Amino acid sequence: MNLIVLGLNHKTAPVEIREKLAFDTQESIREGLKKLTQTEGIKEAVIVSTCNRVEVYVCTNGENEKIIKSLKQFLSEFHNIPIKDFENHLYIFNNKDAVIHLFKVASSLDSMIIGEPQITGQVKDSFEIALSERATSLILNHLMNRALFTAKRVRNETRIGENPVSVSYAAVGLIKKVFDDLSKKSILLVGAGEMAELAMRHLIGSGIKNVYVTNRTYERAKELAKEFNGIAVSFENLKEQIAKSDIVICSTGAPNYVITEQMVKEVMPLRKHKPLFLIDISVPRNIDPLCNELDNVYLYNIDDLQDVVDSNILERKKEAEKALNIIEEETEKFFQWLNSLQSVPVIVSIRNKAEQVRQEELEKFKSRFKELPPEVIASVDYLTQSIINKIMHSPTIALKNNCDNKEILIFAARRLFGIDSEEE
Amino acid sequence: MGTIFFELALTLYFAGFLLSLAGIVRKKDDLDKAVFLLALAGFILHTIYLVIRYIKSGQAPVFSMHEATSFFAWSILFISLCMSFCYRAKVLNFGVILSFIFMFISAFFPRTIPFIKPELRSLWIDIHALMAVFGIALFSIAFVFSVLYLIQERAIKFKKFGGIERILPNLEILDRINYRLIFWGFPIYTVALVVGFVKYLSLLGFLLDPKEIWSFLTWIVYLAIFYLRVKGDWRKKKAAYLTIIGFLLIIFGFFGINLLTESFHKPL
Repeated sequence: MNLIVLGLNHKTAPVEIREKLAFDTQESIREGLKKLTQTEGIKEAVIVSTCNRVEVYVCTNGENEKIIKSLKQFLSEFHNIPIKDFENHLYIFNNKDAVIHLFKVASSLDSMIIGEPQITGQVKDSFEIALSERATSLILNHLMNRALFTAKRVRNETRIGENPVSVSYAAVGLIKKVFDDLSKKSILLVGAGEMAELAMRHLIGSGIKNVYVTNRTYERAKELAKEFNGIAVSFENLKEQIAKSDIVICSTGAPNYVITEQMVKEVMPLRKHKPLFLIDISVPRNIDPLCNELDNVYLYNIDDLQDVVDSNILERKKEAEKALNIIEEETEKFFQWLNSLQSVPVIVSIRNKAEQVRQEELEKFKSRFKELPPEVIASVDYLTQSIINKIMHSPTIALKNNCDNKEILIFAARRLFGIDSEEE
Repeated sequence: MGTIFFELALTLYFAGFLLSLAGIVRKKDDLDKAVFLLALAGFILHTIYLVIRYIKSGQAPVFSMHEATSFFAWSILFISLCMSFCYRAKVLNFGVILSFIFMFISAFFPRTIPFIKPELRSLWIDIHALMAVFGIALFSIAFVFSVLYLIQERAIKFKKFGGIERILPNLEILDRINYRLIFWGFPIYTVALVVGFVKYLSLLGFLLDPKEIWSFLTWIVYLAIFYLRVKGDWRKKKAAYLTIIGFLLIIFGFFGINLLTESFHKPL
């Protein structure tokens, strides 16, 4: 029994190749699974296809070389693309490496953005499709469940997905460190830069309802305000509007400071010194950096936000190291389970044989002592059962336990209990 | 006298203290439920201890250093438990840490029942002492949250993240907690001082001891904090600084004066 993963991802293949090999729809995955499970040597299969990766997980009882060739053939025929076009971009992992790879993928350690949460859901979806197509059985069912469990452990036991790694999300995260209930806050957008728009969208998504937009061109302010369900305000009233707002996002093309330290200084008493969060996404900067020196004023420019993002990325990388330990632990557990499977048939055979001997001897006993009352016969039945169970306990535990020379132990057990001769 | 309850409560507080510390150091909140259960169990046992002591002695359990410090620890935990219900903030962990520290300190003072002159035994004196310690406990937690406010504020202002601020609530919540604690603490402390002062006057006439003078000074500072907070202008950072100053005065009054003058209210 072998596990193989064959695939490519954003690190190994350019987007042109990835899109050619992608299984775009659920239907195409279902169709692919049908073909795979009909392939000789493949017992179980799962296809994971996202915008960044295409992977085929199979459980086989055939020769590895042959299966890998079949898998390449399958991808080539299914997508109508010559093998040589994608062969060099492929990675292939067997057994332990395949399990580690899947656990890394599910836990988002192999993603473009480490810790991004979507991939776990995508792996889960892929598994569910395979389940509904009956393309998986004992091994891959257990493997996929363990992968999802591992991903959950990684998420719970590390801080891998905790801090945002995009500038606009980082801005939202910082704002939430200052304000409690965003739905009661007001936000002012000054200018109409693309990134400011994105941050606005995230903030509106976080619950901010009072949105004001101002721009040197009032018409453009009106357009944007309409887009955000907000109110356009005149650029001349900028100071008054800042006094009414809790968050200001500035993104204009002006070459100088649109919001000056003096302006903010004058504004703060008007707003009873309530905190003011300023985000300056313009280059060159549009908000005087000295504003950050004022009490209860917090100013972040694009570099500050990028620094926050960079440190969050670094943090995620550190957490990824902790996640690797979890993955190692879970891989170990999976192989313990897999090994225990090997011994199950032997244990069953030994127990069956013992039971058979017991029944035969019990019958002989019954026919020899016919005059004995049924309670005594029942007691003897119980006694023999107990003896068998006690004798079988140690060999069962030894066979179930994970050990280095498991195959030798299974071989010895078969010989000692005469199972092979029986089967022959 | 119910000492077993004290020891058990102290043990539970210690376990809670270790878990709280672990949660803060690891910057994760996965131990919070265990902290809550330990704190609650410890709090119940501690309450039983105080009640037993009250029933047996017939006087509020706040008249010796052991009693006052232990009741102070109890008050801190009581306030923290109440607040953890009101705010989904990491209030309890800090409360448990503080409670354990004071409970631990109280264990070192003699546990004998302090002798109170018969003429001083009255419900008013009990109320005065209980309210004073409870008010101080409110101010102490306000102090802790002022420090946490400053830590969080500094992290945001100077853009340095990765420390304890990760598990702290946002600035608005921290400031609101501070406000509420002062809002409740000041009137309670005021009533305690007025009751105490009236009773003191009736017993000794106008003869002030260092503790009374210090308490009055502290009250003036808290009056200023209360006024500035309620009026609205001195919020956030300035309020946090003022609360810290007030706490330092009060803690000196609580421990420093008591220990330096070697008794509560020396002329008594």
